[in-house]
Amino acid sequence: MANPLKLYLTCVRNTLEAAMCLQNFPCQEVERHNKPEVELKTSPELLLNPVLICRNEAEKCLIETSINSLRISLKVKQADELENILAKKFLRFLSMRAEAFQVLRRKPVQGYDISFLITNYHCEEMQKQKLIDFIVQFMEDIDKEISELKMSVSTRGRLVATEFLKQFL
Amino acid sequence: MAEVVKSVEPGSEEDILTRIENKSEKIESLIKQFKPVEALKIALEDSPPQDERCKSANWTVVHKALMAIKDIEGMLISLDPKYYDILMKYVYRGLSTGDPATCDRCLKIHEKLTEKAGFGCILRSLADTLNTV
Repeated sequence: MANPLKLYLTCVRNTLEAAMCLQNFPCQEVERHNKPEVELKTSPELLLNPVLICRNEAEKCLIETSINSLRISLKVKQADELENILAKKFLRFLSMRAEAFQVLRRKPVQGYDISFLITNYHCEEMQKQKLIDFIVQFMEDIDKEISELKMSVSTRGRLVATEFLKQFL
Repeated sequence: MAEVVKSVEPGSEEDILTRIENKSEKIESLIKQFKPVEALKIALEDSPPQDERCKSANWTVVHKALMAIKDIEGMLISLDPKYYDILMKYVYRGLSTGDPATCDRCLKIHEKLTEKAGFGCILRSLADTLNTV
């Protein structure tokens, strides 16, 4: 159903809109260092409450914010083994090319399929609204992509099987 | 319905737990009388307790009231604005459970509540690390 998906995306969008309040904050422990605090989690006063938004048991989104960085981890819907493999391969393909995406994290957080790391520098260079649009669009498109991949795999499999079994007719 | 109120020292865990039990009985009776909004108001009344067990007990009570509500718009109109922040915290707790029915209901409430209370409400529920739910 499209409606629950829309509600889920609206919720994620509103939460991101509120949580993306990042500013530059040099490291407190080591001088002249500037690290994304959400990754290190050394000082509890710099972290906000992490928020987990679930659509159902299979799909969820974890949003962790800190003073200078925001981490979004997604778990996409995987209905069967084939979708499992396709999702894993596809998202690994994207994560390997994280440099091109800038906001993508090379390795997803434990328990999730893909993670984004947005720092204050990204917010300075790029518009906050566009960043949020990108993440929400990504969440929408990932389901379509995986369904398309699954369909093309099934079609190819069917064609190959038909050709192969023709020789036995 | 006889409400047994045990008398223990104020502020202790057992005291809070018994208060939550009493609230739960009141709320169940209100839900049976088709007054889910009043039930929710009573559930949200006491500020979130500090202890883990009390938090879980309070969450069960609020969850019952939230699932009983059919008309979300009406509920938000009649709810006092001072309860918006605490309701938002409970909505996020509901969203983290993963149970499809709860999440569906919480997503709807989240959308309407954000329209009414604004992004400040969300940010306050994120930033408040002392009074978590």
